[in-house]
Amino acid sequence: MTAATVGSREKQSPKSRVDLWLRVVMIWHVVLALGSLGGVAYVWLGGVTWAGWVKGVVTAVLLLLALFSAMAAVDINRRQHRGRTISLAVNYLGFLFALFGSMHLIGVFTGIDSLADSFMRGIPFLLLVFVGFFIGTLTDRYQNPATQRTLRQTSKAVMIVSGVAFLLAVGIHNGILALLSKLTDPLILLLVGGTAVFAVMLWAMWRQPSAEAMHATNADNEMLSGYLFLSPNLLGFLFFFAGPLLLSLYVSFTNWDAFGTKDWVGLANYGRIVNLDVARLDTITQLASEAIDVTVYDELTRFEILGRSYIVGAQDKLFWLSLRNTLTFVLLSVPLSVVPALFLSNLLNSKIAGMKFFRAVYFLPSVAAVVGIALVWQWLFNATIGYINYFITVAVNFLNSVGSGFFDPQIRWLSDSNTALLAVVIVAAWQWLGFNTVLFLAGLQNIPRALYEAATVDGANSWQQFWKVTLPLLAPTTFFVITTTTIQAMQIFEQVFILIPTNPAGPNNSTLTLVLYLYQKGFQRFEQGYASAIAWVLFIIIFGATLFQFQRQRTSGSSYDA
Amino acid sequence: MKSYKLSETLKRILIYAVLIVFAFVMIFPFLYMLTTSFKLPKDTFRYPPRLLPRDALTVDVPGYDEPLPLYYVDVDGRQEQFALIESNIRIGVYADPNNPEMTVELPVSDVEPRGGFTNQEAITINGEEQKLWDVPLNGATVPMIQVSQTAYGRFADPNDLSREVLQNVRLSQPVEKLSAHPQNYSEVVALQGMDRSLSNTALVTILVVAGQLTTSILGGYAFARLRFPGRDKLFVIYLGTIMIPFVVLITPLYQLMVTIGWVDKLAALIVPWIFTAYGTFLMRQFFITIPKEIEEAALIDGASRLQILLRIFIPASTPALATLATFTFLYAWNSFFWPLVVINTGNVENHVLTLSLNVLRGRASDSPNLILAGAAIAILPPMIIFIFGQRFFVESATSSGVKG
Repeated sequence: MTAATVGSREKQSPKSRVDLWLRVVMIWHVVLALGSLGGVAYVWLGGVTWAGWVKGVVTAVLLLLALFSAMAAVDINRRQHRGRTISLAVNYLGFLFALFGSMHLIGVFTGIDSLADSFMRGIPFLLLVFVGFFIGTLTDRYQNPATQRTLRQTSKAVMIVSGVAFLLAVGIHNGILALLSKLTDPLILLLVGGTAVFAVMLWAMWRQPSAEAMHATNADNEMLSGYLFLSPNLLGFLFFFAGPLLLSLYVSFTNWDAFGTKDWVGLANYGRIVNLDVARLDTITQLASEAIDVTVYDELTRFEILGRSYIVGAQDKLFWLSLRNTLTFVLLSVPLSVVPALFLSNLLNSKIAGMKFFRAVYFLPSVAAVVGIALVWQWLFNATIGYINYFITVAVNFLNSVGSGFFDPQIRWLSDSNTALLAVVIVAAWQWLGFNTVLFLAGLQNIPRALYEAATVDGANSWQQFWKVTLPLLAPTTFFVITTTTIQAMQIFEQVFILIPTNPAGPNNSTLTLVLYLYQKGFQRFEQGYASAIAWVLFIIIFGATLFQFQRQRTSGSSYDA
Repeated sequence: MKSYKLSETLKRILIYAVLIVFAFVMIFPFLYMLTTSFKLPKDTFRYPPRLLPRDALTVDVPGYDEPLPLYYVDVDGRQEQFALIESNIRIGVYADPNNPEMTVELPVSDVEPRGGFTNQEAITINGEEQKLWDVPLNGATVPMIQVSQTAYGRFADPNDLSREVLQNVRLSQPVEKLSAHPQNYSEVVALQGMDRSLSNTALVTILVVAGQLTTSILGGYAFARLRFPGRDKLFVIYLGTIMIPFVVLITPLYQLMVTIGWVDKLAALIVPWIFTAYGTFLMRQFFITIPKEIEEAALIDGASRLQILLRIFIPASTPALATLATFTFLYAWNSFFWPLVVINTGNVENHVLTLSLNVLRGRASDSPNLILAGAAIAILPPMIIFIFGQRFFVESATSSGVKG
C-alpha cells in the first residue's frame, strides 16, 4: 500500500474501468431493490400458501433488502464509503444465502452420509496425508538448505498425491457427478447463478481500485476485514446457537409437541412445574385424598413440625423427584470429586519423582467416553459376579478373620433404590476426580515457592501451611473447579442413562435426574414445550448456584485481602 | 537429623502408597474392560472373578469324538489331570442303618434294591420308613439306606482310561491356561456394525475439529487484532453464552434439524458444532499474546490480513491449536446426548460409536465380553492419542479457566 504500488495499480486499471464496475454494481443494487419489492408483491398478491408468520418474516427480509440495496445504490453513485460497506454486506449475505441454499438443495450436507459409506476406504490415504505433513515438520531438524528443500518438496508431494488419492478413494468423482446431475432443477440453477452474480459483485466492490474510488480509509478496511473474519463464526453462532436459544424460550411458553401443535400457553408450563400444595393433616397417617385435591396433586412427601403434620402435594411429582435426585447427586458427587482431588494434587505437588506418570493415570478416565465407562462400571457393579461386591466380600472376610462380626452386605447396586444413585455418584466422581486433580495441580504450581519457605521460617508446619498458604492462594482454582463440577453434575444424564439397566429412571425413580426427565418428556413423550420449560428451570437453578458461589468467592476473597 | 531423615522417608513411602492406591482405582476399570473383552463367555461369569482370560484345557481321548475337558482330581492324595469322560452320573450317598455316620458314595446304577424292585425291604428309623439297598462294599454286599443323591462326573486318566475317579464336577478345578480371544472384537463388529460406526465417528470428529479450528482461528483473530465497531460488546456476549447449558438448546436445535431436514443425518452431528464461543475465546486469548510489531511490519510490507494469519499467527500458535483440537476431538468423539436425540435408533448406518454401544448394551446384555469389546473400541482411540499427546490434553484441561 505504499505510494508506488498504488500508482502502479492505477495505471493497470484506468479510472474509467473502475467507474464502469461501480456503475455495474449500482445497477445491480437497483435491480435487487426492485426485485425484492416485486418479491413482496408476489408474496402478498401471487397467492403463496405459506403460514402467516413465514410470510411476515419473508416480507421483512425482502423489505430490508430493498431498503439497503437502494441506500447502497445512492451512496455508490455519490462515491460515499457507506455505500461500499452496505453493498459488501448485502452481497456477502446474499452470496452465502445462495451458496448454502444451493448446497442444501443439491444435497451436499445430507451427502455426508454417502461420504461415510466410502470414508473407510480413504482412511489409509488420509493417514498418508498426515505422514506427509510430518515429513514437513522435520525440516527444522536439518541445517542444510538443500535437505530442507528436498524435505519440503517431498512433504508437499506426498500430501498432494495422497490427498487426491483419498478424494478418489472416497468416491469424490461419483459424488460430484451425482450433485451435477441435480443442476437441472430450475430453482437450483437460479440459486447457483445467484451465487455467481453475488460473488462477482463482491469481487468488484472488494478490490483495491474500487476501495480507493469509494474513499475507503484504513479504519474502514479494518472494520470490513474484522467482520469478514468473524462472519463464519458469528453467522453459524447466530443460526445454531442464538436463534435456537430464543426459540427455546418461545417454545417453553407453548405446548409444542413436534407434530404440529404449538399453541401459546403462557406460563402454564412453568406453573405446572412449580405447582405445589401444602396442607395440614390431622394425623400423619391420614389419607392424602382428605387433605389435598388428588385429581391435581400427587403426594410428594409428608412431615411433622412442632407436633403438627403436613402433606406436600405436587402437580408434577416426577419433576420434584428428579430435582431431589439431582441435588442429592450434586451434594454427593461434587465433594467426592473435589476433596480427594485437592488432596491428591497436594501430594503430587510435593516434588516427587513420577509426578507426570501419576497425573496421566489420574487423567485417563476423563479421556474416555462416558458411555463406554458406564458400561464397564455396569459390570463392575454386577451383584453376583461384579468386582465391587467381590472386593467387599474379600474385605469382610478379612475383617472377620481377625475377629469381628461383620456380615457381607451383598449390595444389589443398580437394582436397589437405596444404592442406584450412589452407584452413579461413584462412577461420576471417579471420572471427574482426575480432571479436577490436574486443575488443582496447575493452580498449585502457580503458587510461589518463596511463600512456603517464608512460612517454614516462621515455624509453620505442613498442616498450617496447607490451611494458611495453600488454600487461600488456591481459592480461584477451587472456585473454578467447584463451579464447573457443579454445573456438570447438575446436568448428569449419560452416566444414568447407560449405567442403570432397562429403565434409566431406576428403581422407584431413584435415579430420575432433571436432564433425564427432560429427555423423557421431550423426546420420548414429545412434550417439547414442557421439556423446554424444564430446561429453563434447570438453567435458572444452575445460574443461581453459580451466582451463589461467585458471591461466596467474592466475600471470602475480600476477607483474605484484608 | 537421622530421625528427620527417617520420617522424611516414611512420609515419601506413605505418599507413594496413597498415589499408587488411587492409580490402581483409576486404572482398574480399564484393565477389567480390556481383559474381559478377551474372555470366553463362560469365563466372564465365573465367581470369584478373575482378571485374566483363561481357557479350560481339553484333551483328545481315543474313542471319543469330541476333545474332553481336563480337571484336577485327587488320586490317593496326589493331584492329577484327568479328563471328564462322563458327567451327570447319579450318585447315591448310602449309610449303614446301624452306623449312620459311616457313608459311602456309589453310582445309583451299581446298587440293587434289597429284595427286588417290586417288594423292596425297608426299615423304620426315627419313625420314618427307609428303603434298604444292596450296596457292594469291599467285595461284600451290605444292606444300607440312601441318605441323599447327587451328580458326579467320571474322570479318567487320558493315557490310561482304566484309572477312573468319580468326583463332583462343579467343585472340581478345571485345568486352565491363560489365553486371549480377539475374535470377540470381530464378533462385536459383525453384530453391531461397529466398523461403520467407527468410521462415522472418525469422519464426524475430523470434520468437527477441522471446522471448529477454522472458525475459531478466524473469529479469534478478528476479536484479538481487528478493530471494528461492536467488537467488545459481541465478545462479552460470546463469553456469556459459554456457561449456558446445552440442554436449553436441545429441543429448539432438534426442531431446527427437523425444519432443514437433517434429522437422522450425519450433517446434524457436524455442522452445528463447528461454531463455538469457547474455541473463539481460546484462540483470541492466545492471539492477544503475539507481539503487535511483527504484524505491523508485515502490513507495511504489503501482506494481506489472511497472509498474516496464515504465515505468522497460525505457526506461532501451534500449542493453542493443538489444545483446542484435543478438546474438540474429545468432545466430538465422546458425545452421546445429541446423537441420541437426532439419530434414530433404527438407522444403524448413521450411528456413531456411542450410539452403537447404547444399542449393543441391550442386544448383548448377557455377554460382557462383547459389550466390553465394544466399549474398548470406543475408548481406546482417544486413549492412544492421549498417551502420545498428553501435554495437550493437560493443557486443554487447565486452559479452560485457571490461567484465563
